[in-house]
Amino acid sequence: MAACLEIFDDDKGHELSLFCVPKHYEEDLDSVIIPNGLIKDRTERLARDIVGDMGGHHIVALCVLKGGYKFFADLMDYIKALNQNSDKSVPLTVDFIRLKSYANDQSTNCVKVIGGDELSALTGKNVLIVEDIVETGKTMETLLALLHDCNPKMVKVASLLVKRTPRSSGYRPDYIGFEVPDKYLVGYALDYNEYFRDLSHICVLSDKAKEKYKV
Amino acid sequence: MDGRLDGTERKQKSVVIQEGWPGYNLELFNYPEHYHGDIENVYIPHGVIMDRIESIARDILEDLGQHTLMVLCVLKGGYKFCADLVDSIKAQSRSTNCPLTVRVEFIRLKSYLNDRSTEDLHITGPDDLSVLRGKNVLIVEAIVGTGKTMMSLLKHVVTFQPKTIKVAGLLVKQGPNGAAMLPDYVGFVIPNHFVVGYALDYNEYFRDLDHICVISEKGKLKYKV
Repeated sequence: MAACLEIFDDDKGHELSLFCVPKHYEEDLDSVIIPNGLIKDRTERLARDIVGDMGGHHIVALCVLKGGYKFFADLMDYIKALNQNSDKSVPLTVDFIRLKSYANDQSTNCVKVIGGDELSALTGKNVLIVEDIVETGKTMETLLALLHDCNPKMVKVASLLVKRTPRSSGYRPDYIGFEVPDKYLVGYALDYNEYFRDLSHICVLSDKAKEKYKV
Repeated sequence: MDGRLDGTERKQKSVVIQEGWPGYNLELFNYPEHYHGDIENVYIPHGVIMDRIESIARDILEDLGQHTLMVLCVLKGGYKFCADLVDSIKAQSRSTNCPLTVRVEFIRLKSYLNDRSTEDLHITGPDDLSVLRGKNVLIVEAIVGTGKTMMSLLKHVVTFQPKTIKVAGLLVKQGPNGAAMLPDYVGFVIPNHFVVGYALDYNEYFRDLDHICVISEKGKLKYKV
């Protein structure tokens, strides 16, 4: 079972005023549930775990845009630091894909993969899929099935967040940053209709804001 | 004590860590291998300390950003908090219309043996702190326990006739042995555990640990004087 930091359902998070939050979002958020610094520290550890397991062979890191980009950038930085500072290091290449399956905050069943190099580039490599959040698990399961056909050497999934929800298919990624409650979370590149990607902490979206930024 | 320029109270002064909070499992974070077994948990991760400092720096800038700020850093435990706090104050001040001049002075206080606070307080540092006269002074301390040390230090600083004196404490201990009065700026209010890391030591050990952690019984014995 992947180790993860659990944020419990009754965790009230921190008062907004105790952290630096962009002024234009002050009315839209209820609380800071995961400060940026905690995300960074947890990511640093995940990088070490990943290199420990996958460091034996060329790693292709596949970033799922757009939500995954900040976690991806920070994770890559920590992996590169480990590569630079140890006696053995492993080549790391990157690629980016988009999965379209969201509108407002309801997860639909339709998943479309857009962009990325030829998937044949993944044959025989250690593939690390980097995602921001896993909820139902259906998006990830669909992607894994697709990648399986390219015959990679190994495929692992690292997700910053896994939601604790009855809608989950039961799928668990190989590397998990935090397990979070079934609330609508924004910040650190998690969006609500493209807003809040410029917030560095992960926060709980207020009901008022859901209406305000509705599509 | 609050010092907000428009007279309104700050909504909440500090992150409060409740008695009974177990901290985070060590396996979820990176920490130096040489402390394996010597610490119980990660109590406050380094990243959260940095985020909280950013917010405190913003508050300090709001209150004291108009005139040259004299920072009085209490060594050795205060050195990391001071360095990171001053960095953050300067970074945030750079983006305002009037960048702030910050000067730092250092003093040393010796009052702990093993994990017990002793009665004597030795203050060493610049003999001539007359640079503080007429200035806004910010005392930067890593941890306020009983508050006795802080009261002694304040009495000492007042003799140099500064304009104002404010205190920033990264950690303040709560509980029956805790400080009666909160510093002006507080990072975290914590229960009465002996914590190490982020420049806080146990007989000079653990200053090289980034996170704030609770020391284990094994650690206390291993590094006992």
